[in-house]
Amino acid sequence: MDHEKKRLTKPPQTIKFKIQRREKEGADARWETFEIPYRRNLNVISALMEIRKNPVTADGKQTTPPVWDMSCLEQVCGICTMVINGRVRQSCSALVDDLLIATGGNTVTLQPMTKFPNVRDLKVDRERMFDHLKQVKAWIDLDGTYDLGPGPHISSEVAHERYVYSRCMTCGCCLEACPQYSEDQYIGPQAIAQARLFNMHPVGKAEMDERLNGLMEENGIANCGNAQNCLQVCPMSIPLPRAIYETNRDITVNSLFGWLKK
Amino acid sequence: MAIKFSTTFLLRKLHQVTGIVPLGMFYFVHLYTNLTSMNGPKVFNDHVQDIHDIPFLLFIEVFGIFLPLAYHSIYGVLISGEAKVNVLTYPYARNWFYLFQRITGIFLFFFLLFHLLNFRFGLIPGLNMTPVAGHAQEAFQIVSREFQTAWIVAVYILGVLATAWHLAYGTFLFVVDWGVVIGEKAQKLTIRAAIALAIVLGLVGVNAVFSFVRPCGLMPQSLCESPRASRSITAPSRF
Repeated sequence: MDHEKKRLTKPPQTIKFKIQRREKEGADARWETFEIPYRRNLNVISALMEIRKNPVTADGKQTTPPVWDMSCLEQVCGICTMVINGRVRQSCSALVDDLLIATGGNTVTLQPMTKFPNVRDLKVDRERMFDHLKQVKAWIDLDGTYDLGPGPHISSEVAHERYVYSRCMTCGCCLEACPQYSEDQYIGPQAIAQARLFNMHPVGKAEMDERLNGLMEENGIANCGNAQNCLQVCPMSIPLPRAIYETNRDITVNSLFGWLKK
Repeated sequence: MAIKFSTTFLLRKLHQVTGIVPLGMFYFVHLYTNLTSMNGPKVFNDHVQDIHDIPFLLFIEVFGIFLPLAYHSIYGVLISGEAKVNVLTYPYARNWFYLFQRITGIFLFFFLLFHLLNFRFGLIPGLNMTPVAGHAQEAFQIVSREFQTAWIVAVYILGVLATAWHLAYGTFLFVVDWGVVIGEKAQKLTIRAAIALAIVLGLVGVNAVFSFVRPCGLMPQSLCESPRASRSITAPSRF
């Protein structure tokens, strides 16, 4: 990706933020627009902080400060993910200059992710993703009563491939963009990639059947529709479709044709 | 630990298999028979007669075509209902293909229903009422009479093009979902092959439609065999 910093040559005096608000889960959503002065190097989070200081809408109405999640501010924790100008991404790495250059206007639209329960304003509950990690047993059993000794050797190719999958920060971009993902209809790319990560590990391989079983459930891997939006939106550039297709092969070989070995 | 199949998993895999093995194979046979109409009514009708002469025909028709077709199309429409279409927000080629596979599928559901009632059964009032089944020697005349109407020709052209795409891209999806083609580069090549197959099947299919309107379809007539005498006269009698 091209990381050369783009700057607005003629920045506007003020920027408008159109934010989707919701009091609490289940309440009706409403839109509020805020206007803040433009300043160099704003990202969406620093703009939200600016709005929080003085939560008055553009038409002068006093309101509550918008709620959002944030933590690392360097795109490695994934918690500040939201839908910015219609597209899912992390708000910490969404630079206002880039957004304004892309739209050509001076308005930025912020919405919570649509595929998760909306707790309040821009905050969502992503617990479902962690349930899915449990469903595919996305860990390796190591704790025991005796020392297992040094781990097995891993070739650099496998280590490299596993490293890419290990970069997943459970942000939810892939699920938000996936046309097959909604509610619990489909487990989604992130859990499949984590199953792949641990299936590739020489020790984790021992529980491969358990992971494949998790992916075999009603909401499992078979619900993938091959639209590959996950590949396009993943902020960590994880080859999520590859994880799905490698796992498809494992399932074809081990389960679909498994009876041929009996 | 044994791996347990879920109902969804088995239904999906069955959906993928039925699309390729009975239906995809049948499509090639069907296309071949239709293309023989390029060589004139007699040749086509004789080929239709050949199909009528297949042993256990009803059995093959029911278990090899009707049941897989009913399953593939009904379950396919159900799968399409799951889609949360977002091509405008995420306008990538593969996302469009994902949508297009569902659109062509739903269109084909209605098209094939129409096609079967129209020709196989001859049951649509106001249109053809002679079933091709059991009337092999009238097959060409039934179809060409129907193709006098412009909108019917248009519907069949759309049907042929939708089938070409749905089958070609569906074959690509099959090899992907069964873990045969995995890598990004390999998939790019396979998609190109699928698109090429779709174009060839589409063009050949459209020519098959037009060969019921004019000899040899859209091709120069010199390419086609001059209509020959009916086999039923030249071939030795059976007994």
